[in-house]
Amino acid sequence: MSQGGLIGVDVEQERAEEKDPELLAKGIEQEFVGRTPWRLAWLRLRKDKVAMVSLGFIVFLVLVAIFAPLLTALIGHGPNTQYTTSGLSLSGIPVGPGHNGFILGTDDQGRDVLSRIIYGTQISLEVGVGATGLALVIGTVIGLLAGYYGGWVDSVLGRFMDILLSFPILLFAIAIVARFGPSLELLIIVIAMFSWPYIGRLVRGQVIGLREREFVEAARALGASDLRIMVIEIAPNLIALAIIYATLLIPVNIVLEATLSFLGLGIQPPTASWGNMISEAQTGDLYTVAWWFLVFPCVALVLTTLAFNLFGDGLRDALDPRQGRGHLGAKAKVKRGARLLVGKLDEGEAQS
Amino acid sequence: MIRVVLRRLVYLVLVLFVITLLTYIVFFVGNPNDLAARFAGRDAGPAEIRDAAVRLGLNHGFWYQYWHYLTGLLHGSFGLDFQNQVPINSEISRAFPVTASLVLGAVVIWLLIGIPIGIMSATHPRSLRDRAGTTFALTFLSMPTFVLGVLFLLVFYYYLTRAGLSWFPAAGYVGLTSSPGQWFLHLILPWLTLALVQAAVYTRLIRGSLLDVLGEDYIRTARAKGLSRRTVIYKHGVRAALTPVVTQLGIDIGTLLAGAFVTERVFGLPGLGQLALNAIGAADLPVVAAIVVLAASFIVVMNTIVDIVYAVLDPRVRLA
Repeated sequence: MSQGGLIGVDVEQERAEEKDPELLAKGIEQEFVGRTPWRLAWLRLRKDKVAMVSLGFIVFLVLVAIFAPLLTALIGHGPNTQYTTSGLSLSGIPVGPGHNGFILGTDDQGRDVLSRIIYGTQISLEVGVGATGLALVIGTVIGLLAGYYGGWVDSVLGRFMDILLSFPILLFAIAIVARFGPSLELLIIVIAMFSWPYIGRLVRGQVIGLREREFVEAARALGASDLRIMVIEIAPNLIALAIIYATLLIPVNIVLEATLSFLGLGIQPPTASWGNMISEAQTGDLYTVAWWFLVFPCVALVLTTLAFNLFGDGLRDALDPRQGRGHLGAKAKVKRGARLLVGKLDEGEAQS
Repeated sequence: MIRVVLRRLVYLVLVLFVITLLTYIVFFVGNPNDLAARFAGRDAGPAEIRDAAVRLGLNHGFWYQYWHYLTGLLHGSFGLDFQNQVPINSEISRAFPVTASLVLGAVVIWLLIGIPIGIMSATHPRSLRDRAGTTFALTFLSMPTFVLGVLFLLVFYYYLTRAGLSWFPAAGYVGLTSSPGQWFLHLILPWLTLALVQAAVYTRLIRGSLLDVLGEDYIRTARAKGLSRRTVIYKHGVRAALTPVVTQLGIDIGTLLAGAFVTERVFGLPGLGQLALNAIGAADLPVVAAIVVLAASFIVVMNTIVDIVYAVLDPRVRLA
């Protein structure tokens, strides 16, 4: 059964029950008026506990990244300072979690693992969000052009996206970074360069459907230019799709950054990133007796990608009930009410 | 069918052309003299650098070098590497079996894990089993390969060995022909690392696709005419639901055969990925270009195979 759609029904029913006395006074009609598709989506999303917890975690991460200097000052340990006396035992073994004021312990050079993870959050989000944002812009523009104009424009751009997608991405990213020397900006550009075609293809597909719709025809009949139709008429309909796939692309790009850093081609030590923390830990043998400075960055990375993935899934169900995991078969059983709601969201999107 | 293959071949040539060109551009945007200086040896004077440039063919113009490289490719030769002047073909033929062992073994494992869990999830949607399957998928989907590999090494190698259970060997590779038993033991952890992450992708893929298929009208028709649930799910449902799996499998095998960089790095397997990483670190352009070309060809060849498999799986494609 279409989960999203059904949740929509639940929400409607619940709201209707809650407001029953008022409704009787005002008349039911009014209660349903003025509820935008975005509001409906938010109501659906709010019911999804997993998505809300993930959203909470993501907000927490963003706050950690923003207030990283403040937090490390509170902890009292800089991310790159080597606490050789308090952070390492006499035989040079890192201090375990909770000892000497090191909440998550220290690494093999006596640095505070928590402070490094906090600064790593900054890097991960910067690269993940930055690269995804860039990919979103490029992908939307190219996808819009390809889908709207069709014909040879579509063939050329479509082929180009296909070729990029059949590239050995990681290998090529590694080669480029190795050639130009690693830097944060290059990392963002390289990752964006290889992730925009995913967005481009999706946008193109949507636009091909949208450009035949009545409201586009109406705009054209009124004499709107191509640019106006693309930007004012079609683009707003892509927002939901863009939000969903951006949320799902962010964890992919965060992992790509971590992987490149792990391979020594991303963020360079001593600047902390989760990837290079794991890589640095693994180059020595000390982590086998002091697991914490290997395991905690791993945990941070996995929790972050998990949160984005779960939130992205929830978002997809909420914004686009037809395509989410809830859609999944038993289409025939979708109730009429749910269909109507879905239809409503669809219509609303087309006009927003 | 022949037309499909021919079109694919033209496409392969096109892709290879673009990719080799890009690789060359990426490495030659700078000054070729820098490159020559890197391979001229320590404390090389201008004369030695010039010698090195001549030896490596860097003294010619970009297009000449590129043309020379392309004609070499047409003769089936990747040329000599910059570092040791060894034929790249022999380096690749040494590294390829390692990568192939890793990838093909992992493919078997991830299909054996991913497909049954996906089918179970799809046939019991919203049940406890489905939830368990989805949780499995999401957990490993959010687990970067290197994290899983590193943690596996820590737990299954170091901790077990320290506990006196030397079940798994440390990193490294032993050839299948020299000792099948050791080959297997050395590959278990790398296989699992690669396979669990991929199995998650396939679980999700088959669940989604099978649920979609099971919602189709023809499935209801099949049930209505009295076929058993089992027949409907496996003969009508799963068969049709496998199409996206085949596509994904083609892409994945193609990409991974050119080097499972992360897994090879974590477990110290001397495969194509390691070869590429080392070559990139040493700016050994011809080796990098060779592996990029291999990677692209694997991907396009796998895509062609996928197209053919489609025709077998899906009568609509065959008849069209």
